[in-house]
Amino acid sequence: MSIIKKRAVALSLGILFLVLPLLPSICFSAENTIGVIMPGDLPYYQEAHRAFIARLVREGISVKTGIIVQKPYPDAISLSNAARKLIATDVDIIVAYGAPAAVSVVNEQTRIPMVYAAAYEPYMSKIKTRNSTGITTKLSLSSLLRYLRGLTQISTLGVVYNGNEEDSLYQFREVSRLAEQYGIRVNGVNIKRHQEAKAKLNGSRFDAILITGSSVGHLAMPAISEFAREHKIPVGSFLLCRESHAVVTLATNPVEQGEKAAEKVIKILEGVSPEKIRVENAHDVELVFNFKEAVSMGWKLPMDLVTEATRLIK
Amino acid sequence: MIYRPIVSFFASLMLLFAFSAPVHGEKEILIGLIPEENIFTQMDRHRPLAAYLSKKLGTKVRFTILSRYGDVLDRFMTRKMDGAFFGVFTSALAMEQLDAEPVAHPVNLEGSYAVESYIFARKDSNIKSVADMKGKRMAFVDKATVTGYLYAMSFLREHGIADPKTYLRDSFFTGSHGSTIYSVLDGRADIGTAKSKIFLMLVRKDHGIKDELTIIAKSPEFPDTTLFLRKDFPQGRRAQIRDALLGMDKDAEGKEVLKKLEASLFVEAKKSHFQSFYDVAKMAGINVKTYKYR
Repeated sequence: MSIIKKRAVALSLGILFLVLPLLPSICFSAENTIGVIMPGDLPYYQEAHRAFIARLVREGISVKTGIIVQKPYPDAISLSNAARKLIATDVDIIVAYGAPAAVSVVNEQTRIPMVYAAAYEPYMSKIKTRNSTGITTKLSLSSLLRYLRGLTQISTLGVVYNGNEEDSLYQFREVSRLAEQYGIRVNGVNIKRHQEAKAKLNGSRFDAILITGSSVGHLAMPAISEFAREHKIPVGSFLLCRESHAVVTLATNPVEQGEKAAEKVIKILEGVSPEKIRVENAHDVELVFNFKEAVSMGWKLPMDLVTEATRLIK
Repeated sequence: MIYRPIVSFFASLMLLFAFSAPVHGEKEILIGLIPEENIFTQMDRHRPLAAYLSKKLGTKVRFTILSRYGDVLDRFMTRKMDGAFFGVFTSALAMEQLDAEPVAHPVNLEGSYAVESYIFARKDSNIKSVADMKGKRMAFVDKATVTGYLYAMSFLREHGIADPKTYLRDSFFTGSHGSTIYSVLDGRADIGTAKSKIFLMLVRKDHGIKDELTIIAKSPEFPDTTLFLRKDFPQGRRAQIRDALLGMDKDAEGKEVLKKLEASLFVEAKKSHFQSFYDVAKMAGINVKTYKYR
């Protein structure tokens, strides 16, 4: 290395050491830890979390040592345990993916700030506290039902939900109400653990299946897909996931969820109180048609539906 | 080098053929349709009309859907098209910029040839006024539609919003009235603007839509669709087409075609029918003679 280059490097390092202490300190240290609850380790939450980390890294925050991720099974006890572990660890902020995870944190009555993502909007009243902020999703149940009706004539609709996930239960009730308007009979498939799906679906006769935004429902996707393929019926879903065999999915973009959550975490680390950080609705709604799945089942997707898609899986 | 004059000669000959080949009405009459709803449904509705006119005129009449609204005028200018069913905005552009002449309006099943523009949102969005629209996402149909763009712009300006682009968080064009309505229903947009005819057509097909959407504003009435023919289209043929359309409700075959088209009859179109459009254009600050639709 030439003398000039060596001097330039030394000068740069000198300036860096002088300037660093002047910058607002939001770098993670031992006492700056983020606790994350990612129920069921769902691919949708994984994608949101990748975007969350990427955003933190982009903002210049080292995250390698500052994050504890809990991946509990999406039932009330496991979620509550995950929340308690993070509280006991005395994390600085908790990030909760999905409304049930956020509710489990609120139930612990902790003062630790919480940022929720992918929380279903009708459950805002349960998760909005002085210590929380986040990003919510509000998806049109009637639209997903409409697209499913466009794919096939539906007399009986199977709706997969989890009675223990309040948002999923709410969606089940709403879909039942909407379906009644169209003379569609709804058969609810209430699964509390994903292993139950096969047995609960066995012997059922549906013209289509709609999976609510239930984490358990999405863990049961392989069994639901197998059933749907066997009976050649379309599946509609509210969560995007890579392994999904849903022919139509209406979901918010997980990347937007992760990035917005990161923005709010950064503000809290900068000292802004969560109650002063605006709760936002997800804007980026995707309508995805799975051409590949439709073709494999011998279905022909109506062109008038396909033209509405924001994304096609070929 | 000797080949160059020969190549030039044949190239000139080919160009001559290319520009002189389509003589109006000789081989077929090509009429453009602007994409109002799903293009496949729209083509299905218009196919019987093409067959009916072909029979009446003794010349093949063919309809084609243009990919974008603005393309209708482009095709007109490049002389590839003999006529087009224009929406009100493209009608005004065609009259002002191309000197095209209106022929007939289809009258809907309710007995009107006029439509309105609706500005709407999901009922559960709580968007009820211009103030509520601040920072929201809005879906438009196309820059060259009055019912799917221009009226909404004039409405916002009338309510003191000098720059709608910065007032809204985001806006985008969907390309059709139907897609705009579905965008709002799905939550892909917070607010939409579209033609009342398509809005009501979708509500008739799916009653649930009425419970989900709320209309924030309605425009004055504008002529809906108008058939225009090129200025230099032969007068004899023009009269034949006009007579065939105006007489459709008087013969059984014509009535069947009208039914497919969801129309009750055709009436003669006049330039004076477009006055309400010019009022809105003025409010939106648009000069139709110089307006760039792309």
